Amino acid sequence: MSITRYGYRDAISGFFEFPTDNARRILPRGTEPVEPHHGTSIFAVTVFDFHESEVGEYGEVVYAVIVPPLVRDGRLPKSAFFPWQVATTTKAARQHAIERWHLPHWMEDVKVDFARGEGKLVARVEAGGTPAMELTVTDHSWQQVSHLYQSFQTDESGSYMANILFEGEKSEHEEETGKIVLHDNPFNQDVVVSEVYDTPFRELWMRNGCQLFDPLVKL
Amino acid sequence: MEAAQKMAAEKPGFSEYDYSNFYYGAGDDPLNLLRPFADWYRDARPSGYYLYQEALGSAPTTHVRVKNGKTGRWQDLFNLASYNYLGISYRPEVKKAAAEALEKYGLGASGSPILSGTFDVHEEFASELARFKGKEACIVFPTGYSANVGFISALMRSGDTILLDQYSHASIVDGAILAKSKTVFFRHNNPLDLERKIAGVKGKKLVVVEGVYSMDGDMCALPEILEVTKRHGARMLIDEAHSTFLFGPNGRGVAEHFGLDKEVDFHLGTFSKSLGGQGGFVAGTRELIDYVNAFARSRFFSCNLSPVLTAGLLAGLRIASSEPQLRAKLWSNVAFLRRRFAEEGVDIGKSNSQVMPVMVNNDSKVLSVAEKIQDRGLFLNPVTYPAVPKHKSRLRISVSAAHTEADLEAAVQTIAAVLREEGLCR
Repeated sequence: MSITRYGYRDAISGFFEFPTDNARRILPRGTEPVEPHHGTSIFAVTVFDFHESEVGEYGEVVYAVIVPPLVRDGRLPKSAFFPWQVATTTKAARQHAIERWHLPHWMEDVKVDFARGEGKLVARVEAGGTPAMELTVTDHSWQQVSHLYQSFQTDESGSYMANILFEGEKSEHEEETGKIVLHDNPFNQDVVVSEVYDTPFRELWMRNGCQLFDPLVKL
Repeated sequence: MEAAQKMAAEKPGFSEYDYSNFYYGAGDDPLNLLRPFADWYRDARPSGYYLYQEALGSAPTTHVRVKNGKTGRWQDLFNLASYNYLGISYRPEVKKAAAEALEKYGLGASGSPILSGTFDVHEEFASELARFKGKEACIVFPTGYSANVGFISALMRSGDTILLDQYSHASIVDGAILAKSKTVFFRHNNPLDLERKIAGVKGKKLVVVEGVYSMDGDMCALPEILEVTKRHGARMLIDEAHSTFLFGPNGRGVAEHFGLDKEVDFHLGTFSKSLGGQGGFVAGTRELIDYVNAFARSRFFSCNLSPVLTAGLLAGLRIASSEPQLRAKLWSNVAFLRRRFAEEGVDIGKSNSQVMPVMVNNDSKVLSVAEKIQDRGLFLNPVTYPAVPKHKSRLRISVSAAHTEADLEAAVQTIAAVLREEGLCR
C-alpha cells in the first residue's frame, strides 16, 4: 500500500497540561506519557479542516496524549502521540479511519465550525447536539515545514504505529494566548475537566498543507 | 517513497530539533537516542551550541580569558556571564583565607558531614551564616542543587503535596520527585492559579518559590503568594539562590525585602551566586536544622564542602555583611544598565534584579547573535528553548558590583549595535 494523503486548509492544535494520573488512565499498559513537568502530562487537542481525501471533505477532532516516539534506524520524529478519541463530521471518514488506521472513534457524527479572526482560529465542536469543546489557537511566525510525527494505536487486534509527514505552513509558539473550553458533555468523559489547564502552553497551526500517512506498522 | 523515507532523504537542519527531542524515545535499547543525538549535535555545535561550556582560563572577574569553543583560540572578554554578583570570590581576603585553610587542612573534607567531614571552620561558618540570616541555626550543603533536593525530600513524603512555581529550578523539581509527594505546578508568579490548585488539597502542603527567578530575573510576588499559602494552611520554602546577600535592608534576601522574613517558614540559599563560591544552605530554627541534618540524604551521603572553600566562603560572608556599599554599587549598576537598555530600545523582559535577560525572541537567531557579540568582546549566556519557552530566547546577563559604568556602557553599545544589525531592535 502506498502513502495516504489528506489535504487540509487548517489544522490547529493546543497542548494542555493535565495530571499524569489522568494520562495513565487513558494510555494502554506499557505506554508512557511525556511529562513536561514531573506529574504533568500533555493533553493534545487537534481540529482538522480537511478538503481533500479518499473520503472527501470533512472535519475531524483528535484527543491525544503526547508519548515518546519510537526511535529506529536513527530516524527521529518531532514527537509522537496516542490518540484515544477521534471524531469526524462524516460517517465515511469515520469508517475509513477505523478500517485503515485502527483509530478509536466517537461513533456519531460531530459538528465542527471554524471561526476565523485576525491571527486566530476558533474551532467549535458539538457532539450529541450540544456543545462539547471550543479550541482557540493564535498564530505567530509562519514557515514552510515538513515534519515527521508518529501516532500509536491499540485495539483488540493489536498495537500499531503510523508515520505521518506533516507538510505545509506552520506557526508554533508558547505565548499562552489560546484557550480551550471543555463542556460538560460525554465527549469529554475521559478527562477530569477541572484538572485540565485551560490555556495551552503550546499552540500549533498548520495551513494549506497535507498529511502523508505511511502504511500502518503492526508493533 | 514512504513518508518516513522521504523525511530521512530530506535531512532536516539542526535548528529543526533541540535538546527536548532527544530526551524521550520508546524502544528496547536505552542507547537508542545516542546516535540521533550525536548526528544532531555534530551539526549543532559548530552552529552556535559551542557557546555553551566554553572554558575559562582566568578568574571570573569582570574580564576573563575564554577559549573559543569553535576556534580553540583564547579571547579576552568583558564578563557578563559569571554570577559573582558582589565580585567577592577573587578578593584578596577570600583568597588568603582559602590559602591558609589549604595549608592547615589540606584539600578536602575526606568524609560525610555526619561522620568525619565536619571541621571547626564548617561550624564557624554555619554559625555566622545563621546570625547573618537572623535565624537560630543553619545547615550547609555541598551545592545549591543538593540543598533543594535534600531539604525538600527530608521534609515531605509520599501522600503529601508540593506546589511549585512552573519556573522552579530543576533542583526544586528533583527534590519533589525524590520526596515522592504529589507535585502540582502553578503558573509563574500567579497567586490566583495557586489558589485554584491548592484549594481542597488535604494533608501536608509545601509551596516553593524563588526569590528571584534565574531566567527572567523577576522577583517573586511574595506577599500575594504567601497570603494564599497561609490561608490554606500550607508551609512555604523560599529559594533565595539569586537574592541572598543582595535584597533587603540587611541583604538577607527577598523575604526580608518584603518584610516577610519571619512569615516564610523555610529559607534556602546558595554561595555560588553572590559569593562566587559553591554550596547551599538552609536557615531556620534549631529543631528544623537538627531534623534536616538527620534526614537530608543529599548531604548525609555526600562528602562535606571542602574546608578550603568553606574558609573562603566565611571570608566572603564577612565582606558581604560588613560592606553594604557593595550592594549599593550593584543596584546602581543595575539601574544604569536598565536605563541605558531602555534608551537603546533593548528589551529586558520582566527583570527587576541583577539577572537581566536581553530578549532576542528569535530561536533561530539567538546563537548567531551571541556569537557575533562574543566576537566583539563580550562574554554572556545565550538561552533558548527548552530552557525558556519557544520564541523567548535571550542573552542572559549577570550584573556585578565590580563592573564599572564605562564597561557597562561599552557593553550596551555593542549589544544594541548587534541587535540592530540583525533587525532585532529599533
